[in-house]
Formats: sequence, structure tokens, C-alpha cells
Amino acid sequence: MRSGSLIPTLLATALLVIPAQADKIDDIIASGKLRCAVVLDFKPMGSRDAQNKPFGFDVDYCNDLAKALGVKAEIVETPFPERIPALMSGRVDLGVASTSDTLERARTVGMSIPYFAFEMVVATNGKAGISSFETLKGKTVGAPAGTYEAIALEKQVKAWGVGEFRPYQTQADVYLALSQGQIDATVSPATSVQATIQSGKFPGITLAGKAPFDIDYVSLFASREEYGLINFLNLFINQQVRTGRYAELYKKWVGGEAPNLLVPGVYR
Amino acid sequence: MFNYSFRWNQALAALPQMLDGARVTLGIALQSMAIGLVLAVVLTLCRRSGNWFAAAIATGWVEIARNTPGLFQIYMAHFGLGAFGIHLSPFTALLSGIAFNNAGYLAENFRGALTAIPETQTRAARSLGLSGGQTFQLIVLPQMLRIAFLPTTNQMVWAILMTSLGVTVGMNADLAGVTQELNARSFRTFEFFAIAAVIYYLITKAVTLAARLVAWRLFIY
Amino acid sequence: MPTTALTLADLAFLAQGAGLTLAITAVAVACGTVLGILCGILRVQFGPFWTAPLTFLLDVFRSVPLLIRLVLANAAQSIAKLGWGPFTTSCIVLSLYTAAYCTEIVRGAIVAVPQPLRRASRSLGLSWRQDMTFVVAPLATRVALPSWIGLTLGVMKDSALVLWLGLIELLRASQILVTRLQEPLLILMICGGIYFLLSFPIARLGGLLEKRWSPR
Repeated sequence: MRSGSLIPTLLATALLVIPAQADKIDDIIASGKLRCAVVLDFKPMGSRDAQNKPFGFDVDYCNDLAKALGVKAEIVETPFPERIPALMSGRVDLGVASTSDTLERARTVGMSIPYFAFEMVVATNGKAGISSFETLKGKTVGAPAGTYEAIALEKQVKAWGVGEFRPYQTQADVYLALSQGQIDATVSPATSVQATIQSGKFPGITLAGKAPFDIDYVSLFASREEYGLINFLNLFINQQVRTGRYAELYKKWVGGEAPNLLVPGVYR
Repeated sequence: MFNYSFRWNQALAALPQMLDGARVTLGIALQSMAIGLVLAVVLTLCRRSGNWFAAAIATGWVEIARNTPGLFQIYMAHFGLGAFGIHLSPFTALLSGIAFNNAGYLAENFRGALTAIPETQTRAARSLGLSGGQTFQLIVLPQMLRIAFLPTTNQMVWAILMTSLGVTVGMNADLAGVTQELNARSFRTFEFFAIAAVIYYLITKAVTLAARLVAWRLFIY
Repeated sequence: MPTTALTLADLAFLAQGAGLTLAITAVAVACGTVLGILCGILRVQFGPFWTAPLTFLLDVFRSVPLLIRLVLANAAQSIAKLGWGPFTTSCIVLSLYTAAYCTEIVRGAIVAVPQPLRRASRSLGLSWRQDMTFVVAPLATRVALPSWIGLTLGVMKDSALVLWLGLIELLRASQILVTRLQEPLLILMICGGIYFLLSFPIARLGGLLEKRWSPR
């Protein structure tokens, strides 16, 4: 990769000479397929069925988006840490990957308006005597590294000054650690905890009330300079809500009332 | 023109944090080596003991350590033992995974080194009145460690490199863990991992150099 | 474990993962060996001074954890917009990794061929190329083969790390099954067993060759 840096420079310079007019939307339509980065170990947003094929809310959302663009969807599985490199390398066109729209990340990638919102709850294995967020003090907790809830939870553990925080690389590892008793509790999106409890694979895991964190709004993401595409994504999200498809998908994968995507009191 | 602007200042601002991580990395590697060396000597003794059962366990250990990925061993130490209700913290899981691996490879190195020590020395020592334990401790062990010194430093480098696998079991204090967390927050993958690569390189070079100096002082004759 | 939800399809999924592990190993070892032989000959031929930059570069490949290098290479190719998939990136990184070790093995093996023997062959009128192919190659191969087998096995085990880039190789396939079925112990045991079965017989063969071919 070191010695190879010259050739791409030359190539890129050569490409600069050719005026590039088509934007990403044109490219997608011309190629006939939309490649979405989706995280597949994050129920109910993305996971695998008994044939180990991808399915979930994000998978359906990508399919809808592809239909709106008149192309075929291609699901590219990306673990949480792989989402952005996949976008940067042009291996995917955009991400439908439950990505929290933090400002720190927005310095690097372009975020759409929120397409989903997570409410954070405490999940415990019922062994450590945890009944609410406050009783987490002094316990060992975990969450997927770098996520919204992980950052907030780690900050809280540091503020308490006792207990331990462990970041895992996937949501699945967090639940595995929780069910084994490696950690006493986790803070997770309510939808994810519900899906986990419903799966019946983790008999010990129970809900222990809400976590006092802000609602975690997640966005679709694309290259920062692709305004045309980001505009399209914003409108697409708007249409999904307007046509009731958002509520329908929510009912299919999560159940119940779909969360409001409006932040009260401010424009986006 | 890549449409990626490097932001080294942002990454360099996290350097103190990463250096703290580097200290943890070195600490884990040293501890795992110390444990690994002791275990390897025990395994070597077991394999030489003539006790069928002890030898079988030692051989099993060495073969499993050498024939499965280090990542698998660390994952097993955390989630595999967890299924038995044995809970190792990420630090302990990482440490025991690497120590397990070190012990296996070092025991194999020792076996090779032992073949280089003539059997006649043992017989000579025994006929001079030394007990079996004394012979091993005073005659065989020092030579074995000297012959195996170079492979052992190689294993030390391996141990440093293996510490980077701790991120898979929730380790966030070592260099790779710190780097990954910084990366997950800001998505500046290239900058953070490039700095981490340089730090790892410097650590391994420092360790190799230190080992050479030690060898030069110890084995001068 | 009396009952298990593990189906034949899941075992096939694991086998598929093992197939990918083998494929990556094969590509990396093939490319890495060719590169390693080239670099090894260069190092012997031109001496340590002129090949210092090469030595340094290869040294870097041995001193930085594979995980860090995989992520870094992946980020670098994405910044340069090379559009390599994870498979290509993994193969390239692992090939360079193999080459770094293979160079040392090849260098050591060539140096191990007695100098007088080579002088004798040259004075019998053999060209450098003939000397290399008919005298050095057969002798050096004997010295190098056991360590080369060890290297191949090392690469196969280390290839588990490519799961970080999203490739579903053997270890990642088992993790996916663990996520779905929640039987970590059984599935991890099977995974370890497969690695062992792939690696152990070849390791034994290497040991045998070492014993048989080592100079007495």
C-alpha cells in the first residue's frame, strides 16, 4: 500500500482532466444497482434468517430505496467499524446501517435527516439485582464500541467513578456477554432488546427500565459532497413516513407505535 | 486528488491516550511472556517426565496452541469459558489467551533446544552426585534457555502483536483498543491506525534491541 | 449438550467459511512465496547495504500487528479510491505478510548452501542461472521447506483476522452461528476442531520432513 500510493495519484490526476458531470444518483441509475452498507448482527434492523440470508428493517429500507431509484438493491454486509471504509472505497453507494448522527461523525461523512429513532433502555440478565438505570452504579456494563449509547454509558460510568465499562465490537457479542454474565447490564435500543428477548435464545435477559439518555436518532449516510444524493435521501425518508411505509415496516419488524422522527422545537 | 483530507492534528491530539495504551500493551505482553515461560518449562518437564498422563496433557496443550488461531484462543478464553460460568475480564481473557499460546510455542522451542544438549552431560552430572532435579536446574535449564533465547525474543514480538486481538473481547485499554475506540467515534480510520502502526513498530524494535543487549551481556563467553 | 439447533445447512455454512479461509491462504501463500523468493534472492545477491530499504519495509510488515495493517490497508485503498473489495485487500496484505517472512527463509536457505560448492559449480562453467537452478535451488529447498510449511500454517491461522473487514471466513461464520443459535461452546469447539484438522496433519508432515532432511 506504501509503494502503491504513486499510481493512484497519477490515476486520480488523469481522471481530473476528464470533466465529471454525472453525480452519484446518475451513477447508481446507470449501474442499475444500489449498494447499501447494512449491519447484519443488529436485530431487528439487520440479521440473518435460517438460511443465513440477510433480512431486517434496514434490508427492507434499502430495497424500498432501490425501488424508488428504479434499480436493484444489493446488500453489502459491513460490521459496525467497516461502514465508513466501505463507503470511502466506493464499495457501497450509501449506508442504511443505523448510524447515529453524531457531529463528530458528520465531520467525515454526510448524514441525511433521521430515518429511525432508538429509545435507550437498560437490559440485564436478572442476576445482579438491577432494577433501574440508577442501580447500574458500580456494576460491570457493556455496549458496542463507538455507538451512541456506548459513549454516553462510558461517560456515566466515569462520572460515577465505580464499576467498569466494556466496549464490544458487535451488538451480538454484548448480548452473548450479558447472557453469560460477563457483564451485568447493557444499555441498548429498546427495539434491539425486545427483538432479543422475543427470539427466546436468551432466557435470562430482561428489561430494567429506561435509560435517561436522549433519543438516539439514526441517519442514512453517503459521501459528504454528494448533495444531490443526500437531498434525495431526505425526500425519500419524508415520503416513507408520509405514505405510511415507515409505520408499516416498523410494525413488521418491531411492532407497536413507530417513534416520532421530529425533534421538537427545531428545524433540520 | 482524493476527496479525503487527512486530519493529522485531530489524531495527534489523541497521542497521549494512545501512548497510555501502548504502555498497557507492553505490560500485557511482558506478563504473558513471564507466565508463558514458567508454563513452558512445566510443559517441557511434563513431556520429559515419562508420566504418560502428564505428557499427554502437555502434548495436547502444545498442539492446540500451535494449530488454532490466536484470535480463536482469546475468543475462547472469554466466550468459551463464559459458557461454563467462568468469567474472565477482557484483560484476564487476553492475558490468559496469549499466555496459553506463548506456553505452547515456547515449549516447542525448548524441545528443540533440548535436543542440542548432549545426553552425556546429564549422565556426567548424575555421576558427579547431582540429583535429577539439580541436574535439570543447574545443567540443562540454563543451556536450554540460552539456546532458546532467540526464538523466545521472537515469541515476545508475537506476544506484542497478539495483544492487538484484545479488541474482540471488549478490551479497550491497550493500544489497539484505544485506537479502535477513537476510530469508531470519529471515523478517521487511516490517521489513527497509521499512528498505531508506528507505535507498534517502535515497541517491537525497542524490545528486540533490548533483547539483543541482554543477550550480549548474558551470553558473553 | 444433549440437543442442538445446529442443522446441516449451518454445517455447510461453516464449511463455506473454511473454504474462504483456505482460498485466502492459498492466494496469499502463492503470491507471498513468489515475492519472498524474489526478495530473498535480491537480498543475497546485492548484500545488506543496497537492499536496506527493502529489508526495512519487510521488517515493518513483521513488526506491526496484522489487524492494524489490515484496517490501515483497507482505509488506504478506500482513500485512494482503488475500489478493492475486502477479499482483494486481505489477499494483498496477507501476501506481503507472507513475503516478509518468506524472504528471511529464502535468504537463510541460500546462505546455507556451502560457498565452496557454488564456487565449484561456477568454475565448472555453469552460469549464475544454472548454478541457481541446478545447485542452489534443490539444496536450499530442503533447508527452507519445513519453515515454509510452518509459515503457511501461520498464514492460515492469521487469516482469521480478515473477519474484521467483513469477510465471512471460518471464525466469522462460527460467530454468526453463535449469534443466531446461542450455543457458543459447541460451535466454537467445532470451529477449533476444523482449524486443528486443517493444520495438524500438515504440521506433522513438516516435522517429519524436518527430521528426515536435517543434516546429521
